[in-house]
Amino acid sequence: MKVEKVIETKKVSRVFKNGDIEIHAVTDIDMTIERGEFVAIMGSSGSGKSTFLNILGCLDQPSSGEYYLDGVYVNSLNKNQLADIRNQKIGFIFQSYNLLSRTSALENVELPLIYDRTGRFSNLESHAKKALEQVDLGDRIHHKTNELSGGQQQRVAIARALVNDPALILSDEATGNLDSRTSIDIADLFVRLNDKGKTIVMITHEPEIAQFAKRMIYLRDGSVLTDKLIENRSSKESALKDLELTA
Amino acid sequence: MRQLLKIFKVAFQSIYKNRTRSILTTLGIIIGVAAVIMTISAGEGATMQVRNQISGLGTNLVMIRTKMEHKAGINIRMGKPISKRDFDVLKKNSVWMPKLSPLVAIGAHAIGPDGYKITTIYGVSYDYFSISSRELIIGNYFTEEDVKTARKVCVIGETIREELFSGRDPVGRQIRIDKVPFLIVGLLEKEGTGGMGQDMDDIIIAPYTTVQNRLFGHRSGYNMIMASALSEDHIIDAEIEATELLRESHNILDDDEDDFETMTQIELQKITGNITGILTVLLGAIASISLIVGGIGIMNIMLVSVTERTREIGTRLAIGARESDILTQFLIEAIVLSLAGGFFGIVLGVIGNYIIYKASDFYIPTVAYSIAMGFGFSALVGIAFGYFPARKAAKLNPIDALRYE
Repeated sequence: MKVEKVIETKKVSRVFKNGDIEIHAVTDIDMTIERGEFVAIMGSSGSGKSTFLNILGCLDQPSSGEYYLDGVYVNSLNKNQLADIRNQKIGFIFQSYNLLSRTSALENVELPLIYDRTGRFSNLESHAKKALEQVDLGDRIHHKTNELSGGQQQRVAIARALVNDPALILSDEATGNLDSRTSIDIADLFVRLNDKGKTIVMITHEPEIAQFAKRMIYLRDGSVLTDKLIENRSSKESALKDLELTA
Repeated sequence: MRQLLKIFKVAFQSIYKNRTRSILTTLGIIIGVAAVIMTISAGEGATMQVRNQISGLGTNLVMIRTKMEHKAGINIRMGKPISKRDFDVLKKNSVWMPKLSPLVAIGAHAIGPDGYKITTIYGVSYDYFSISSRELIIGNYFTEEDVKTARKVCVIGETIREELFSGRDPVGRQIRIDKVPFLIVGLLEKEGTGGMGQDMDDIIIAPYTTVQNRLFGHRSGYNMIMASALSEDHIIDAEIEATELLRESHNILDDDEDDFETMTQIELQKITGNITGILTVLLGAIASISLIVGGIGIMNIMLVSVTERTREIGTRLAIGARESDILTQFLIEAIVLSLAGGFFGIVLGVIGNYIIYKASDFYIPTVAYSIAMGFGFSALVGIAFGYFPARKAAKLNPIDALRYE
């Protein structure tokens, strides 16, 4: 199997300046993530994981260091090119879903395709439907976001992240607002998407959710503390069993 | 182009999805536009009416009246009352005043079959009708013969007809004015509200001879003499002529002041000019206030709605919208709402004017520039305050926009 680098960072740092105070949120992170990987990034709050994910998601630019996304040198891109690369190569999932209110699931999922300038997608609706089917919401496509449960809303958000067939799916605490059972469902959905070949990087502070990934990176004070493969990965069944035991 | 179409769709969806906000925004603009149209139009209507009333007073009017001085709140007669002799002098010698009429006025009770009214009876000669240029709709004017023989005939205004005859044809019928029976020979055309707010149709016109003999009890003085100059160019000549003739007739020495007053249409128009000038300033002030109030309303709702939507903008940016996509969307939304608001504002303004007209009989023309001003300003404010906050949001770092609370 041909190994491709989806993410490659070289000494990526991010410094926030607040008056005279400099805050080093991310310091010299070297990281390579290959196609088909499923990475969980962990760390306490303030460890720089969100900042790092924002850089990976091209929402933010590193203060120094180099970042290659799917072979594209991101540092050299201007604002519009960054928007386009977010549109074409990245699917972002947020803790608070960030769906458009009073809008149907279908229309929410169509949104990234509206901003697509490559003309890859001719029939927006059928693409959006397919993405919703992938997250098991094929029967809820015309429901408005406010008519859906939290887990269902997050699935819509995941479908929105999938719809543009991105090289990389980034999840920032996707299960943070959900109960344990729904969190396991979402984690299981990530596993299934990963099995189909999607590269996923997710931030989580829940070890049981991180256990679904293939690789875990632990950040502390803006640097990589540990980076290891996960040996006994959770599955939906095992996680549910654990949940019952603790309860 | 295809991209633009897609953004158009997004903008329209967004307007539809956020109906309440869209309606509130539009409402701000509607009220702004309607307020401007109605205030400007009301001012224009008032200006127009004052102007119409003055020119409606008569043709090339020259008035000669007893000199009055306003002292301590009361009018005091300073000279001799205008007399029949003055009238005869003018009638006999005047070159520039072909039409002359005495005018005597008295308040009286007029009683008809269906009611009564306290009104003003004007006693005039036949010439008055061409001087005042008031038209009849039914019947005839009284004749010179009627004046000479002091017949008890009169023409009445629309208001008198309403009160005394419940709107029925009054010609050929009798009314009593202070117990004296008068035969109605004609009905004057409706003229509406006068420049000073008085009802121009609350009037009875009778021969001055009859009024003097029957209602005044043989008084000889006149309230004034009304004359019509040969043409507009000769109003001044007529005034000078009247002054000279009367000074000579009153034996006034060169250095002494006139013991009578003259007033011409030109002077009235000058006064009108002042009144309308004041009205215009007042109107401008009111219109600017409604513009500012309307503008602030639009500004507020736009600012609030855009701030509320910063997170939405962040989401759109995060999933790959370009800054220009966001700007186009918000610009389209602002334009659509402003245009819709402007349109309904115009409709509301015009309907409002019509309702005021129907309710108060005060004719308000919807002037074109009020539409242009109200619409232009509101649209400008709506677009500016829909666009610039959105631009600020679109220029934000996507993360900051996403985190916006």
